[in-house]
Amino acid sequence: MIVVDNVHKRYHTGHGPGPWVLRGVSLTIPPHVNVGLIGANGAGKSTLLRIIGGEDQPNKGRVERRCRVSWPMGQGGLESSLTGRQNAKLVCRVHGHQADLTDRVAFVRDFSELGEYFDQPVRTYSSGMRSRLQFALSLAFDFDVYISDEVTAAGDAAFRKKAAEAFKAMANRAGLIMVSHDEGTLKQFCQAGIWIHEGKAHWFDDIDDALKAYKESISK
Amino acid sequence: MAKPRNPFEVTFAVWNALFLREALRRLFDMRAAWLWLLLEPVLHIAFIAYVFKAIRMRTVGGMDIAMWIIVGLLCFFLFRRTGIQVMRAVDGNKSMFTYRQVKPFDAAIVRAGLEAFLMSIVAIVILSAATLMGYTTLPDDPLLVLTAAFGLWLCGLGFGLVASVSMRLVPELEHIFTILMTPLYLISSVMFPLTAVAEPYRSWLLLNPIAHGLELARAGFSDYYHAVPGVSLSYLYTFATVLILLGLLLYRRFHLRLVMK
Repeated sequence: MIVVDNVHKRYHTGHGPGPWVLRGVSLTIPPHVNVGLIGANGAGKSTLLRIIGGEDQPNKGRVERRCRVSWPMGQGGLESSLTGRQNAKLVCRVHGHQADLTDRVAFVRDFSELGEYFDQPVRTYSSGMRSRLQFALSLAFDFDVYISDEVTAAGDAAFRKKAAEAFKAMANRAGLIMVSHDEGTLKQFCQAGIWIHEGKAHWFDDIDDALKAYKESISK
Repeated sequence: MAKPRNPFEVTFAVWNALFLREALRRLFDMRAAWLWLLLEPVLHIAFIAYVFKAIRMRTVGGMDIAMWIIVGLLCFFLFRRTGIQVMRAVDGNKSMFTYRQVKPFDAAIVRAGLEAFLMSIVAIVILSAATLMGYTTLPDDPLLVLTAAFGLWLCGLGFGLVASVSMRLVPELEHIFTILMTPLYLISSVMFPLTAVAEPYRSWLLLNPIAHGLELARAGFSDYYHAVPGVSLSYLYTFATVLILLGLLLYRRFHLRLVMK
């Protein structure tokens, strides 16, 4: 379960604080429910997602995570001077998997299919290789809730197919909170929806209702 | 549902992970980066010792000039390296903050710990080499040496904490802090004995806590060393404590600013 309590957020621009993006968002996301975030560009979907994931902090209010929540899938930080393997070890250790480090690193190596590049510094990677490593890292841990911002996976066709299957398996096993502009993807993965409008979040038990509310707001 | 880890487990896991990563960066970042860690103090020591030998100065305050320089320089490097590394810790670990378990303070404390570890190795290597060259390198009062060195390390940590936050608020300060290290090198009695300075200027120079740490470490090495009058361990530690508390306060107040986009 994730409790979002009265979260306010604004960003610092070059000229002091910018306008409020989120103005008092309060939500309770129950366990084992897949949730889609819906809203116009710039409504604050990614912002809310990052705050839920703990990557960014709210200016006011708080988020309580009563389960293990992932970082935004496929967007984990990589240290460019380290090799893929060293990065994988680093992330395993941060998440407390010192004991089964070898297995998880082996999983990342096999899933990312980087071959001998796995032992080369990340700064030598192409962007496709980077995102393969990042996606494999996200799948290497057993989170209760995964968060995903638009990306399912990059890479070539074969990798994309494999990644999509892994994503589906993961969405059945654990909770998922995702941002997508593609209605089909949202309907496929999510039961509930959150519509973000004018800095407030509205919860819908059914994703279709959330999409309807969103569409009505733009047709006005 | 997996059992959540308690905060201590999370913090220690993060420290462990960051320590290994920082050690890799510090030792293998560039070609033979580990060699330069050792060569930098060695070259400083060799150059200053050469100058002093050339002007026929063999002892300072009753201590052999080579040992006087070695102890002073190692202590100063302990402070400077810790300070500079901690100051840049947040910038150097930016990519790690996408994992919410990693906090800016973790990066700072891990870097300080790593510098202490590396400087101990450098000190052991240099002192062993000096022993082989016939110098008396066993301290008469090891506890005083360690206490003084620890105080200098705390000063470095405190300086780094304060500097890293103020740098984030006013980016230009980074230049000032880096420039500040050179005059500090000159007035901390690293290569210029403070006993040679006349009053009242000596008292002014003794406002600098680093000079206290260096003189105390030398006094710990040799019972016969005449340290500058007025050096005190409590001044060093008071200064370090104030710096660290100020740094922690700044981290507490501005920790969002350090990682927020």
